[in-house]
Amino acid sequence: MANQQVPMVMEEITDPEELAKARVQRARFDRNSAWLQAHAKEVYTRYRGKCVVIAGEELFAADTPEEAWTLAATAHPEDDGSFIRYIPREKVARIYANQRRVAAM
Amino acid sequence: MQINGEWLLCDDGVVRPVIRGEILTNERLWQPAEFLVDTGADRTVFSAATLSKLGLQPIVVQERLGGLGGLIDAVVVATQIQLTRETGSKVVFRSQYAAVTAVEALDICVLGRDITGLFTVLVDQPGNLVCLLGQRHRYTIVPG
Repeated sequence: MANQQVPMVMEEITDPEELAKARVQRARFDRNSAWLQAHAKEVYTRYRGKCVVIAGEELFAADTPEEAWTLAATAHPEDDGSFIRYIPREKVARIYANQRRVAAM
Repeated sequence: MQINGEWLLCDDGVVRPVIRGEILTNERLWQPAEFLVDTGADRTVFSAATLSKLGLQPIVVQERLGGLGGLIDAVVVATQIQLTRETGSKVVFRSQYAAVTAVEALDICVLGRDITGLFTVLVDQPGNLVCLLGQRHRYTIVPG
């Protein structure tokens, strides 16, 4: 993959049944995301260095992503709109750009 | 085609441009994920925390990514990313994507130019606008 163009295929989903299912999942995702935004200050202050999963508009924090996912799935097995964030230990300016791949030697 | 995102408050009190989407898991389920719209990133990269939920078998296990933090370990997985159009329909991007393996390396997934390069990218904080425009959608700059 290094230093070569990887094929990208873009296609639109038109199946009404699939779209209806996706819309329901997206609504759950939106609710969980809105919950995190509404509680951002508290969450980001309290859970530095942790992985947090938002599921069922609740927060589940742990040291590893696997633990956080397990806690969330146990409490809200039905929520397919859950997502994860890692809360960095420190507040520092972030440069995400220039994610350049380097060939292995 | 218009794919909308938003400015989200991050842990350091900074708002950043984010588009929400889904990534296809090994069980053919869609896993929600937030993607930072990074116009400088060469490629889309998954966070290790998100990767842990996908259950995907890497097709390259010793990839390395470079940035200001130096080199970091990554893997490459073949999967699909799904984004939502302004009409509510879904657009799928099937390719190979890098994923970092250290949780601390990336707090959020990054949408890079392998995908954003297919669109006109609008990241306008004063205008509170984040969106990808494609096909017949255009924008106009009006002199003030």
